[in-house]
Amino acid sequence: MERITPELSTEEIRDIDAEAGHYPHKSAVLLEALRIVQQHRGWVSDGSLQALASYLKCPIAELEALATYYQLIFREPVGKHVIYCCNSVSCWMLGGDGLQAHLQNRLQISPGESSRDGLFTLLETPCLGDCDRAPVMMVGREMYRQLSRETLDAMLSELRARDGQQPMSDHREQ
Amino acid sequence: MLKAGNAQAMATITIDNRQYEVDDGQNLLSACLSLKKNLPYFCWHPALGSVGACRQCAVVLFKDADDQRGTLVMSCMTPVKDGAIYSIDAPTAQDFRAGIIENLMTNHPHDCPVCEEGGECHLQDMTLMSGHTQRRFQGRKRTHNNQYLGPFINHEMNRCITCYRCVRFYRDHAGGTDLQALGRNHQVYFGRQEDGLLDNGFSGNLVEVCPTGVFTDKTYSRHYVRKWDLQTAPSVCEHCAVGCNTAPGARRDGKGDPRQLRRVTNLFHRQINGYFLCDRGRFGYEYANSAARIYTPQAALTQPLIQTTAGSAKVHQSLSPADAVARLAVTIAQMRSGNRRVIGIGSSRSSLENNFALQTLVGREHFYAGLDERSLALLKLVDRIQRDPRVHSPGTPEIERADMVIVLGEDIADTAPRIALAVRQAARSAQIARAGELKIPAWQDDSVRQLTGIRTPLLVASAERTDLDDIASCRVRAAPEQMVALADVLAQALTAESGEIHAPDIAGLDTGEFTALVEQLKQARHPVIVSGCGLQSQELLQAAARLAFAVAGHKEANHRQTDSREARAALYLACPEANSLGLAQLCDARQNLNQLHRERQSEHTPQPTTLLVMEADLYRQLPASVADQLCAGVDEIIQLEIVHNRTSARADLILPAAATPEYEGTLVNSGGLAQRHYAVYEGSGWIQASWRWLADAAAASGELAGAELSGDEETHARLQSLARWRHVTQLSVALAESYPELAPLAELGPDWDQTIEGQKTARQPHRYSGRTAIQAERQVAEYKPLPDDDAPMAFSMEGIQFACQSPLQANNWAPGWNSNQAIHCYQPKPGAARLGHSSGQPLARKAVVFHSDSAAGDAARPTADPSDGFRILPLYRMFGSGELSNYAGAIASVTEEPFAVFHPQDLELLSLTAGQQIAITESGDRWQLLAKVSDTIPRHCIGVSTGFTQMASIPGAYIEREQIAPGDA
Ligand code: SF4
Ligand code: SF4
Ligand code: FES
Ligand code: FES
Repeated sequence: MERITPELSTEEIRDIDAEAGHYPHKSAVLLEALRIVQQHRGWVSDGSLQALASYLKCPIAELEALATYYQLIFREPVGKHVIYCCNSVSCWMLGGDGLQAHLQNRLQISPGESSRDGLFTLLETPCLGDCDRAPVMMVGREMYRQLSRETLDAMLSELRARDGQQPMSDHREQ
Repeated sequence: MLKAGNAQAMATITIDNRQYEVDDGQNLLSACLSLKKNLPYFCWHPALGSVGACRQCAVVLFKDADDQRGTLVMSCMTPVKDGAIYSIDAPTAQDFRAGIIENLMTNHPHDCPVCEEGGECHLQDMTLMSGHTQRRFQGRKRTHNNQYLGPFINHEMNRCITCYRCVRFYRDHAGGTDLQALGRNHQVYFGRQEDGLLDNGFSGNLVEVCPTGVFTDKTYSRHYVRKWDLQTAPSVCEHCAVGCNTAPGARRDGKGDPRQLRRVTNLFHRQINGYFLCDRGRFGYEYANSAARIYTPQAALTQPLIQTTAGSAKVHQSLSPADAVARLAVTIAQMRSGNRRVIGIGSSRSSLENNFALQTLVGREHFYAGLDERSLALLKLVDRIQRDPRVHSPGTPEIERADMVIVLGEDIADTAPRIALAVRQAARSAQIARAGELKIPAWQDDSVRQLTGIRTPLLVASAERTDLDDIASCRVRAAPEQMVALADVLAQALTAESGEIHAPDIAGLDTGEFTALVEQLKQARHPVIVSGCGLQSQELLQAAARLAFAVAGHKEANHRQTDSREARAALYLACPEANSLGLAQLCDARQNLNQLHRERQSEHTPQPTTLLVMEADLYRQLPASVADQLCAGVDEIIQLEIVHNRTSARADLILPAAATPEYEGTLVNSGGLAQRHYAVYEGSGWIQASWRWLADAAAASGELAGAELSGDEETHARLQSLARWRHVTQLSVALAESYPELAPLAELGPDWDQTIEGQKTARQPHRYSGRTAIQAERQVAEYKPLPDDDAPMAFSMEGIQFACQSPLQANNWAPGWNSNQAIHCYQPKPGAARLGHSSGQPLARKAVVFHSDSAAGDAARPTADPSDGFRILPLYRMFGSGELSNYAGAIASVTEEPFAVFHPQDLELLSLTAGQQIAITESGDRWQLLAKVSDTIPRHCIGVSTGFTQMASIPGAYIEREQIAPGDA
């Protein structure tokens, strides 16, 4: 793990300060700050956590508690595309588990792992609120609906094809 | 059971068809435990309140007598209600509780045999209580990696049952920031962000707060035995003047290892430590086992074996106790016949009885406190202030309830840690009061904490950043005289009818803040003022007293308190050592080491003289040059001591003295409370209580031919009484007769022969093992248990086992309750004073109105050095400033090196850099210190670590001109 404290960038500081303005207590901005750092860096390293702690003047353990509580804050590097595979009931009824197995097979990873080429990370998630178009997966902020093995394969190829464009674009807003 | 003063509202409730009357306002769990019902629980803690997290305490609540089904409720979250009907035994409740524990246990490793909680584990107790004795779960258990948390605490996360007690104590109660609940769902992890020392000074309580074996005492691990194999007795912590009660545990290893003391745990005392100790108190015990421990008498060789350059340090050789006593007897005989003067130097870390024995031996006029002039003057001043009828010393519960706290200069987090923990709770009293208005009981912990933004006013005036800064509503960093000014202006503002009061000129304190302070103080009904000897300023103590008097006057005039006790102002003055105030009762201010030094210097006709030093290190009190002169000016130094130190290095004869858990004696804490500590075990080797060495030698001296023939009557009478004392309680009684202030000592505890219904108190529990085998390596026959000449207690399993039945039983253990949670079995209700427990006796000091006399200025205070304008401020550390605890291995391993702190601008001014080694010299002493920088230290002050080993405890006391030079590292 990286040990040096990477300074927060000017943009990160700007974004954090903008968020902080919305809250009466400093402690309320911690989660947003984690999200902002992740948005810029793809994940939150120990060093990033330290940088945040010293900027926000809060105990590092408090940030860690938040970071480890929220599933969508990554404390390990993730692939360029994070695939959230819905494992709730509607998707399951329509073969979601088979699809997930197929995906795992294709990428040779289990949930929580990243593919060796660093392109994909697979995470499970509860209901994504798109049951009427189950089974679904979310990649970054994009939904892929009514998936079958074929469309899933197409999705992977499309994502692979996209590679080389904006890195980590999946985690950026807009 | 007796009810205290004002009547407590009662509620009549029915539990399993029986009616009970219980205190209203509490929760049902607490009521059930008060009724000694076996109702299992995990997340509730008497000092932490309820959060309803574990669901283990479920009971059934019925709507009315006709309701047959009832509803499940969590008893810890349910306020008792008059007329309500509950059931603990209802099958639904039992099934529910069994289900909860079974669920908790699915992940719990079956590792009790190798778990150090085993045998005193709340989880074991509750599992059994809930009837879960068979595991059905076949799946994999969740596992975790453990962390390195420093030298004090083990971490074994697999054992966690996610009750959240640890973080609720560590974070919410003690203000720690580096332990958190991490992760979520099935994977909650209680730990730090990364490996490392838990940095809160109360971390040791995790060992007792955690109901499982996640956090255990690492110092105990190194010589671990089961709880049932420990013998114990009530003791008092010797590591500061707060006087926390402890239950040390000891056991011989049977192989002759002299290190018998295994651990220290909390012994509940409602007025002082409650459920918690600080880490110095819990882990400082290792001094008694340290390599520097003295086990046998030693005499200096008259001819050094080798010509060394060790200067005045002598080479010692063991001698038999009989020879040692005979040697001391010769000295005493010479004193009796008028041929030798013996000067006794007493100790503020030793018992009243030990000091009294020494004083009896040498006579009052030859008895000196083992303290420098300034330290003793401070103690005498504290004593005088406390005698004033307008003030009283608040206990912990009173501090916790305070509606305003003013801390003046004393770094209590490092000098009186348990008091700092109480002040931390006071910071929430406003929140709790507000909750009360909203009809939320204080024990509804989570709800009360939702009321954010409400804080008790807390002024912390300090010389440096303190551990209370995070809760202070107003922080002032100032030099002592600025604090004096602040206290005086506050006092003035309280008393002044009208007229404008100007904020004192202190950087960082603006008029608005100051006006707010004045207003808060005027409104406060139960303010507490805290100060102490730490900054070594008499003026500061006097200013604290003046402020307290003003508060008392204001209370009387404005709040019309009817109770005269209520009208008194609460003033807590922290003293340095466990028996500082006790020693102060035995001598007047002139009986100090500097005075002795002066007297010795001016003596013209030298006479053979002995320095009889008892449990004091002259080199900790005086600059080495002065101590050297004192030692060189006598022809004999005899020392009674626990551990080797710089004084014992020079002694001609050293006698091994008992450490606090090895003998019985009385200590007076900062609040003027006399408390007795009892021998937990008999010291190894030839260790015995200092007074016994003196009594033995006095007796032997009487037998020396001719001793009776000369010398004065009075000396003989004194020595005869000393020689006759056999039991420590005889000394207590004699003390009570000799000093009116100490009269309560006669009432303090049972005499050595005063049994209860013919029974003594057992130090060992029923289940103590290996009794007939433990010594087998050396002797096949079972040893006869040692007799105890001081207390009606047995060093064996025979006698009273239960705490309620004897004030001397410190074992926290009841049927079905093997863990420390058993304490509620010995309380009328959780949190209340222990039944049958002697909680000490306040000194009977005559009330005398205090007049601050300007003459008592800080005679020896280091004044600003004319050459460079700098002055020394003593700074303290929980680990580092304790004389005895510095010998404790784990503590020593995390103690920082001696340091000097500078303001950044001063550092620059002196062309020093942080991290550099510098030297401070003072009348011949030279200390190498690490230069540190802090913008919280006032300008033109140098904060110097105080009380660190190898330094006089008061650097700066005598600094005439300190030179700061880049040292040779
Ligand atoms: S570590 Fe102990 S106190 Fe903390 S949650 Fe787990 S079992 Fe409870
Ligand atoms: S506060 Fe003082 S008396 Fe209490 S445990 Fe700590 S060192 Fe001992
Ligand atoms: S169950 Fe998959 S989106 Fe709702
Ligand atoms: S003790 Fe009541 S829910 Fe935990």
